[in-house]
Amino acid sequence: MVTKSDTESIQVEIVPNRYLMPATAQSLLNEIYENGGIIRIMIHGPNLPRSVPYGPGKGAPIEENRNLLIEVGGQAFELSVNVGRIRLELESEKYFDGLKAACERALPFSFQIRRGKFFHTHPTLTDYAKFGKVEDTRILGLIDPKANKNRLGHIV
Amino acid sequence: MAYTPQYYPGSTSVGINRRKHMSGNLEKLRDISEADIVATMGHRAPGADYASTHPPLKEMGEPDCPIRQIVAPTPGAAAGDRVRYSQFSDSYYFGPSVPYWRSYYGSINCKGCDPGTLSGRQIIEARERDIEAYTKKIMDSEMFDPALAQMKGCTVHGHSLRLQENGTMFDMLARTEMGKDGNVYQVKDQVGIPLDKKLNLGKPMSEAEAKKRTTIFRVDGVSMHGKVGARKYDEAVEALHHMWELRSKWGYRPE
Repeated sequence: MVTKSDTESIQVEIVPNRYLMPATAQSLLNEIYENGGIIRIMIHGPNLPRSVPYGPGKGAPIEENRNLLIEVGGQAFELSVNVGRIRLELESEKYFDGLKAACERALPFSFQIRRGKFFHTHPTLTDYAKFGKVEDTRILGLIDPKANKNRLGHIV
Repeated sequence: MAYTPQYYPGSTSVGINRRKHMSGNLEKLRDISEADIVATMGHRAPGADYASTHPPLKEMGEPDCPIRQIVAPTPGAAAGDRVRYSQFSDSYYFGPSVPYWRSYYGSINCKGCDPGTLSGRQIIEARERDIEAYTKKIMDSEMFDPALAQMKGCTVHGHSLRLQENGTMFDMLARTEMGKDGNVYQVKDQVGIPLDKKLNLGKPMSEAEAKKRTTIFRVDGVSMHGKVGARKYDEAVEALHHMWELRSKWGYRPE
């Protein structure tokens, strides 16, 4: 019988029941960061464009979506989505309970947290078209295939 | 005895609300000024003249037509206004009106309008001064809620997403904002062009109130299939099955 290693990485998805305001997103991400054990993390949600993308108002600036700066683990970055889902890979199962507790501390409303397989392991055709041969496979599954190259996800 | 139209079956709160929307016997919940409605629609500046596509009907010398003699034109048609629109989007989280019911409301209660129903939004087109009057009626009534329904001329996809932290429907263009006083303010017109000043739309409904007034069947609110496990269908479902059968088998022609 093969014994499973207790240091095998696990993948987790956190889905809050509401979309997060930048302040709450910052607080949640900091709690997750302090819990440690993160191999990679992706935040997901609807796009927040900087100007009206189409229609009669095309090109009008959307000031509310600009300069949404948050600071996580001492590093500042700009949010380009409204955070609604977080997927992450942890070094091992021992960080899972701490992660759950971190979510409970940071989120003022209910949320779902589940383990599963959320990042793909082989490059897709889009990955190949965008990046060619992928050397670091950790990037797989972190990227919005529709995003422009200059707006691809940040890796915390 | 005068005939009273029977609009929709069912004894659930959703059925009752759907009947209310169709009949037009709506409760007035707020009073948004006409100028604010006009500014939100964004077709003309408040107080500006109406642009026209043809001279007033009285000056045109209409042909001798019995139908034209029977049907009085709407004020907008009589004046020769342009055709303009207002479009609403309702959240799936107990939004006050589902698109089909907005269309039923328009078809039954708004003379000279052209409603269009899509999955998450509903547009009504009519002559400019008519659509302004209809839109005011809608926004003042229980068919509108500042948090769960919005006038969105484009980019409507927040209707199918989770709500934001402050309980409002997500809007990519940030056309409304939640004020510190608890009121929702319209800061842009329906296509996302910033307004000169913030327009107060009032306080959003509480969750309980929204559940009471919604026209959406939801499994976590009023389920279309009755209580889970009970399998006691509402009359609305039976009527729907009946209509579906007639439509499928005989194309509404049972002879």
